[in-house]
Amino acid sequence: MAKKETKHVVCAVAELPPGARKIVQVGKRSIGVFRVGDSFYAMLNICPHQGANICAGPLGGTNRPVSGYQYEWEDAGTVLRCARHGWEFDLTTGANLDDPSIRAKTYPAFVEDGNVVVSL
Amino acid sequence: MLIVDCDCHNEWHSADELLPYLEGWWVDCYQRGEHTGPPGAFPHAHRAWFHPEDFRRFDFKPQSKEEHYTKMREMHLDANNIDIAILTGEEGLEVSTLANPHYAAALARANNDWMVNDWLPLDDRFYGSLIIAPQDPALAAEEIRRIGEHPRMAQVLASHGSIMPYGDPFYHPIYQACEDVGLPFAMHLGGNGGINTMNFAGGNPRYYTEAHALLIQPAQTHLVSLLINGVFDKFPNLKVGVIECGVAWVPSVLWRLDAEWKALRKEVPWVKRLPSETFRERVRFTTQPLETPPNRDHLFATLEAMHGQETLMFASDFPHWDQDEIAALKFPDGWAEDVFGGNALKFYSRVKQPAQRAA
Repeated sequence: MAKKETKHVVCAVAELPPGARKIVQVGKRSIGVFRVGDSFYAMLNICPHQGANICAGPLGGTNRPVSGYQYEWEDAGTVLRCARHGWEFDLTTGANLDDPSIRAKTYPAFVEDGNVVVSL
Repeated sequence: MLIVDCDCHNEWHSADELLPYLEGWWVDCYQRGEHTGPPGAFPHAHRAWFHPEDFRRFDFKPQSKEEHYTKMREMHLDANNIDIAILTGEEGLEVSTLANPHYAAALARANNDWMVNDWLPLDDRFYGSLIIAPQDPALAAEEIRRIGEHPRMAQVLASHGSIMPYGDPFYHPIYQACEDVGLPFAMHLGGNGGINTMNFAGGNPRYYTEAHALLIQPAQTHLVSLLINGVFDKFPNLKVGVIECGVAWVPSVLWRLDAEWKALRKEVPWVKRLPSETFRERVRFTTQPLETPPNRDHLFATLEAMHGQETLMFASDFPHWDQDEIAALKFPDGWAEDVFGGNALKFYSRVKQPAQRAA
């Protein structure tokens, strides 16, 4: 049987408008909760690189790998750049963009009864 | 374990903080003269390689002069159990890029008075760096003698960007002054714009990514120059620190240099010992940004080859984007006490060990 998950209310949906984030303490864990459009994401605030506060970093796009000398900006809106050393992660999966086998811990986040909820 | 951070950056909120320490014409120069940026920017020649995300870490954004200290205390000194922090300033180091050596020296002097008056009294853990504008060694030596005996100044500091290699006799007045006041001389990565045009052997790279990886090069030039121009014989009490210039390259350069010297010693007969022996005795490197190869044994073998247990000193580089995290740093077994604090206490002879903190 799967490990039982527990839900934690982060805030009312209205308190987390599109583009906003909250870094909340749940027990011993610091969790970043993000809203991109009407999608919600949650990530453990520990970078798999050196343990830094990944969730305080800028969120946006990146330049796609290309073959010529050009920049192809991809504004995914879900590329989280660690606040400390700049490693890039896909907020939706936790995968590092350079080496997807390196993963930041993510959790389900969703709306329930007008609240933003994370499931840990 | 005692932790000495040998590269902790303290920055002004606005370079206007220097105004009380500028005199006469230099006030006009600063207030009405050209700046690198809007009012409040520090007059210097910026390097041509811009960091695409800023060189400071994203989560350190002080909103006032006071927060530069309070956030450093909270996010670094207290959080990382730093016992002693050698403050290295920030843009002050860039005085080396200015063509007018008199203005550069006046700004260096203001930087040092700002360090002594605005920073050192804030925290018992602080020691300062005495920044010089090395492009005029006579003025630099004058500044070292002016304030170099301050009990909380730990070292003389210049950027590793320069107009010529630091072993050149042109610079020897600086080393004489360092000896006279009893301070080590150190170089720190920076000063890679303006009159300091020779930062990259072979030509200028296009991208910051390249530049940042290659900025070890001036330090290689300076290390070889200091050893081969007999600086350590001429100044028998001089010690030299190399800050933020990488470490894994050191053994390979010293191996080559030892081999050259064995064959060609008659060209430089004032060099009386193997360069690597002089290095081991007189030169210290700070660790950040420590190389991180996939196989840690490769790094450890390299660090052992440079006698790292004696020659390495921990540095964080707070609050920059490539700061090393203490918890993630690993050294060979038995080295930690020396690298994190013991070697720095020996190198910075003016730094006193703090009284044992209450448990």
